[in-house]
Amino acid sequence: MAVHRAFGYFFREAIVNLARSWKISAVAVSTIAVSLFIGGALLLLIGNLNRQVREWRREAKVIVYLRPGVAPAAAAGLRAALQKPPWVTGVEAVSAEQARQRFVRYFPSVAELVHGWGEEPLPASLEVAYDPERVQPRAFEAWVQSLRRVPQVGMVDDDRDWVSQLEDVLRVIGGIGLAVVVVLLVAAIFTIASVIRLTAYLYRDEIDVMRLVGATELFIRGPFYVEGLLQGILGGALAVAALYLGHLVMAPQVPRTWLAGVLTGSFLSLRDQLLIVTLGALAGFVGAVASLRREEV
Amino acid sequence: MIHFYRVSKHYPGGQRALDEVTFQLDRGEFAFLTGPSGAGKSTLLRLIFRQEIPTSGQILVNGRNVASLPRRKVPFLRRTMGVVFQDFRLIPRKTVFENVSYLPRVLGLDGQRQKRLAYETLRRVGLAHRMKAFPLELSGGEQQRVAIARALVNQPEILVADEPTGNLDPEMAREIFELFLEINRRGTTVLVATHDARVLERLDKRVLSLRAGRLQEDTAAPGATAARRMSAVIAAGARPLPPVPEAVGG
Repeated sequence: MAVHRAFGYFFREAIVNLARSWKISAVAVSTIAVSLFIGGALLLLIGNLNRQVREWRREAKVIVYLRPGVAPAAAAGLRAALQKPPWVTGVEAVSAEQARQRFVRYFPSVAELVHGWGEEPLPASLEVAYDPERVQPRAFEAWVQSLRRVPQVGMVDDDRDWVSQLEDVLRVIGGIGLAVVVVLLVAAIFTIASVIRLTAYLYRDEIDVMRLVGATELFIRGPFYVEGLLQGILGGALAVAALYLGHLVMAPQVPRTWLAGVLTGSFLSLRDQLLIVTLGALAGFVGAVASLRREEV
Repeated sequence: MIHFYRVSKHYPGGQRALDEVTFQLDRGEFAFLTGPSGAGKSTLLRLIFRQEIPTSGQILVNGRNVASLPRRKVPFLRRTMGVVFQDFRLIPRKTVFENVSYLPRVLGLDGQRQKRLAYETLRRVGLAHRMKAFPLELSGGEQQRVAIARALVNQPEILVADEPTGNLDPEMAREIFELFLEINRRGTTVLVATHDARVLERLDKRVLSLRAGRLQEDTAAPGATAARRMSAVIAAGARPLPPVPEAVGG
């Protein structure tokens, strides 16, 4: 039969099936929507965190703390040496006094910690900005190690260390999130499979008649496949809508801090939204196929 | 058209539904299949449209070996025949028209052709005016005529009916058999399983009598003697009834 007529028939019958057993269909749609909502929320969170981490990586610096009493000429020589590697984009000298003022500005509640000392409590430093795109990891690492051996240098703080640790944490969160989403999706597939099997059972007399008049298995099963597909698409669309609503409601309520940026920075891209709906459709279709695979419906 | 050669059907547990049944039904022929309950009539019909597979023997329908037909080809076999049941087996949520036009839809005919075929077939069984009704709004006789229309809509070469008048009163049964005769006159091969002794007595058609799965009598050809026909009827366990005032044609 003509493909477009067959699909038209499948869609009409699937919509009739959904409408006739809307309560159990609603259960299937809700299950898949909840699974994809959780998956989507994780995707949103991880996406924004990744963006933030990329930003931090772009802003990462190597801070070279000088030992107390380093002569200005030696500091200037060191500063000139620090500008040589190709990835370095700038070196800023921060005196001990500037460091103390910065501390007071950033941490006013514990400002007294740096008062009352006879001399400056914080060391002077050279803050090296670099372009992460131009960094050659091995050469960069060797360079940092060599700085640690310079006699005038007390300590070298490489921002990449904690950014890398954060990226590791993100990878773990992503892995756990993926596992949770897979488990939830499998549960949703089972729910859809049960719903479709139940619908097929309700229509078993009709299906017998269809088979007797010469309908092929594809023609009989087609509406059930489309029913699963529609349930999945509806579930996915509901999940995206709920995520968007949640994002709209939460965004103005979160204070404008970096955490707010992480949680509500930007919504899922169109590609991610389509991915969620496609996953729903796939889960629905797989559920329908699985439910009808073994039995002669 | 239909050829059974030493066909047996045994169910798990050893029950023999059919035992070495051999007969041939030619193109355009009309035959009754009779016998007491449990004689194997329904099994024999189900073998023809491949709802069951024989344990042994050969079944040829229109030259095709039904038993060895791959499962994917069964729908195409069924499209060449119409099947009518005692309990009508209509789809209650679909209208009369939708029930009848289901097969044209399966065949992928366009909407206009579906409508024309369904309308013409319903007109043939006298139900064109009830197209929009649902099956449960119809009388038993009307429902059976819809089932016959559904069986006929694809102009099948064979029509098999399993106790088609079992749920109907004598007047409605008479109408249904008149319809079968008319269908047969147009060239369709008809095989009807029935208990109705009145019909067997009145219609001068071939009778295949089954008892305990064996073909006990075959009147072989139209025009057999009344005694032989009666013998077939009685042998099959059907009880002859007094004549009805209005005889069925044939």
